[in-house]
Amino acid sequence: MTDFSIGLLGIGAMFVLLILRMPVGMAMLAVGFFGTWMLNGFRSANALMVTEAFSHVSNYNLTVIPLFILMGNIASVAGFSRGLYEAAFAWVGRAPGGLASASVLGCAAFSAVSGSSVATAVTIGKVALPEMERFNYSRGLATGAVAAGGTLGFLIPPSTGFVIYAILTEQSIGQLFMSGILPGLLLTALFIATVTIISLRNPEAGPRGAYIPFSEKMAAGLRAAPLLGVIIISIGGIYLGVFTPVEAAGIGAGLVLIMALFTGKLNWSTGSKAVGDTVRTTAMLFLIIIGAAVLNPFLSMTQLPARLGEAMTTMGLGPYGVLFLIVVAYLILGMFMDGLAMLVVTVPIFYPIMMQMGFDPIWFGVVAVIMIEMGMITPPVGMNVFVVKGIARDVPMSTIFKGVLPFWFAMAVCLFLIVIFPQIALVIPQAMF
Amino acid sequence: KELKLADFQPPTHFALERVYKPMGDAISAATNGEVTIKAYMGGELGPGPAEQYNRAVDGVADIVFALPGYTASTFPMTLLSELPGVIDPINDIERIIETQEMLDPEYRRVKLLALWNNQPGVLFTASKPIRKLEDLKGLKIRVPSRNAGLVLEAWGGSPVSMPATEIYNAMQTGVIDGAMIDMSALTAFRLAEVTKYVTVGMDTATSQFFLVMNRDSFNELTEDQQKAVLEAGKDAARNGHAAWVEVSDKAQEEFVGMEGKELISLSDEEVAKFNAASEPVIEKVIAEVEATGVPARAYVEALKND
Amino acid sequence: MTDLPPATERKQGLAHSTPVEWAVRSLTSLSAVALAIVLVMTFVGVITRYVFNAPILGSNEVIQLVSIPLVMLALAATAQRDEHVRVDVFDEHIGRWGRFLGDIFSRAVGVYLMYLLTWRSWVKLGEALEYNDLSNMLRLPFWPFYGLMALGSAAYAVILALQIIDLFRTGARGRD
Ligand code: NA
Ligand code: NA
Repeated sequence: MTDFSIGLLGIGAMFVLLILRMPVGMAMLAVGFFGTWMLNGFRSANALMVTEAFSHVSNYNLTVIPLFILMGNIASVAGFSRGLYEAAFAWVGRAPGGLASASVLGCAAFSAVSGSSVATAVTIGKVALPEMERFNYSRGLATGAVAAGGTLGFLIPPSTGFVIYAILTEQSIGQLFMSGILPGLLLTALFIATVTIISLRNPEAGPRGAYIPFSEKMAAGLRAAPLLGVIIISIGGIYLGVFTPVEAAGIGAGLVLIMALFTGKLNWSTGSKAVGDTVRTTAMLFLIIIGAAVLNPFLSMTQLPARLGEAMTTMGLGPYGVLFLIVVAYLILGMFMDGLAMLVVTVPIFYPIMMQMGFDPIWFGVVAVIMIEMGMITPPVGMNVFVVKGIARDVPMSTIFKGVLPFWFAMAVCLFLIVIFPQIALVIPQAMF
Repeated sequence: KELKLADFQPPTHFALERVYKPMGDAISAATNGEVTIKAYMGGELGPGPAEQYNRAVDGVADIVFALPGYTASTFPMTLLSELPGVIDPINDIERIIETQEMLDPEYRRVKLLALWNNQPGVLFTASKPIRKLEDLKGLKIRVPSRNAGLVLEAWGGSPVSMPATEIYNAMQTGVIDGAMIDMSALTAFRLAEVTKYVTVGMDTATSQFFLVMNRDSFNELTEDQQKAVLEAGKDAARNGHAAWVEVSDKAQEEFVGMEGKELISLSDEEVAKFNAASEPVIEKVIAEVEATGVPARAYVEALKND
Repeated sequence: MTDLPPATERKQGLAHSTPVEWAVRSLTSLSAVALAIVLVMTFVGVITRYVFNAPILGSNEVIQLVSIPLVMLALAATAQRDEHVRVDVFDEHIGRWGRFLGDIFSRAVGVYLMYLLTWRSWVKLGEALEYNDLSNMLRLPFWPFYGLMALGSAAYAVILALQIIDLFRTGARGRD
């Protein structure tokens, strides 16, 4: 058997393992391990596993993962997310569809402390959905805004999506984080525009919120200010180069913890829940990282990605033709898969092809993350939709998927703009370095 | 038998053409094509320099390119040549090869094929020129190793450790004032963009590169094949050394040609002050290593041989 | 906080028995201690560098090594609660028996891989002791961290093995 056919066999085996419900990280580890065994022998496979496990688990740059997760978890259990939503509500609640727009803004703000789309949707959804119910919002608009808004968690830094992409492609975590800022803000604006258009066409769908006096607006803003301050310090610190991403994560988590302790918002039970969640999520992510670290050497030894890339190059589609194919592949995959699993399965294969086509590695990171996020709200399997369903149990799934559709198109517009104007993604990281 | 050689440097790196290709050709010629080398560049067999030595020990690859400095506790004796003034970084490659056998006790887990020195770590500063020893006082300087850190401390600076890839950002933003690293980093890590001054002239720390081979992989070869591999290794050390010297010279030339950049060559008087300051450190490190029961002094004498 | 729906809690079987719960919680607590050390070291490292202009030389070595128990000791808890990311698209299509056999097979493979990782880590522990492998700046010994890695992967393997036994006890019906 040639190395190349062993590579194909490996990919096939991985899909079988995934169908058999093996965790993604373990499936990659298994294929990488047994594949290396076939190519290089048992000694080499064992050595690869222990060396990569040790070196990735003890990789200094990956410390951003537990620290940023801790920051988001503490902000969530301490109720700071409610403060963010209330401030957004005070300022934009009076506009058409104001509560839905406030949910999107709340999601955007919480995204800046949390690296996870699901966590963002859960945290803001728990606060915002009952409010919108109270104001008789259409269920489609309410749940759609939260499910879509949650996807900002991956795009606005910090983001576990960008961290995993950075690991898989050996790009800079800091640059990837920075590249997500403008697209994240653009998408937030597009979501709010979507809410406004829906509410203007059908005022019943998104009634205006109550009048809030200016003093109360300021008060709500002030209550949210400390957390916004932490966001500005940690994310702004990366941009200015005052902190490395790891240090920004440490400072962010430390400051949120101190705030939570000083305001008495943290007790033993919420605190240990936040910490337990943090270490388990960290372990979950690192199993994927270890799996990818063992799979990648195997794949490159089989020459599989390189050959696929060559094949696509010789088809004569040109870079944008290939990009189009990849986007279509993502849209189809996005129906059934989403989140980290999809990122991990696709990037090792698509990334080398995109690099051969001369695209920017950071820019493709943004494109891949947006595609992953579209998958999170694409039926029939959409993680964020399921999460919102988990909070709003009496809303039928079909209503949520219908409600999310306009936001899906907003994401498509965002993606289109980023393809036409790559600078949206690249201007900040390029200004930084 | 095809030996897998792992290097974490990009596939475009000159080591591939200048070092590995000739080495593979020599081995293949000497063994009638029975033993060949295939180089995996760009960390294809696992990324990053830090774990390279372990990849050879455990057998991820048969041969790896690595820096002994990343696993310093394993190579106290090998790393003696990184101390200022122990070797002449340009002219002593033959002496390193001749004395290589003295290092055998440190290579029980792998087989040492080639050892050569990098060009010396000079002082890069972002905005503060170092013209005399006092200029270094209190400056935060990134150092490549513990020994280099001790030297820098003796000169009055404040050592910071960070990976080479982070120097650019740290120097640009003032997290550090400068870095002690070899001249080729001006181009390799694009440090010329953030460096205004480079100070040279004093005896300073160097770093080493080596090619090491998995023990079992080596023992599986016949005696003649082993001999061929070891011979090719020595030539690889010579070729590697020559290539690195060339790249370093070229980087220096380019830097001098750039507008607003200055290469500061210390006066003899200042060189003497720097060397006097680092002298006790050298003695201290040699004594420390000697105290662990290793013939450190004998090795240093053999390298110096004056 | 994971990218997973809240797992329906099945708190039955060997994998959730009292001694196992207790062991998993102990490991998680150790992992939490490691997290606290990482947090304090990064936070204090930044403060000392900017406020006192005195970087802590080698603090990154502590952070790196402590990350090993942080990650490895939490693997078992994550497995016990089924929180490792899976692709669940095909769950419906492979049927009760497909799910049952798939769950057993994927755990069996996991046990084998984690057994090998435990064994290799243990061998590395011995080597690190024999050759006195230390970190570069602070000269911290490596062997305890290979030990913690062995402990974490062994605990993960044990949880998976117990889950296999639980699966056989409940049979394919347990996978409805
Ligand atoms: Na985020
Ligand atoms: Na989907």
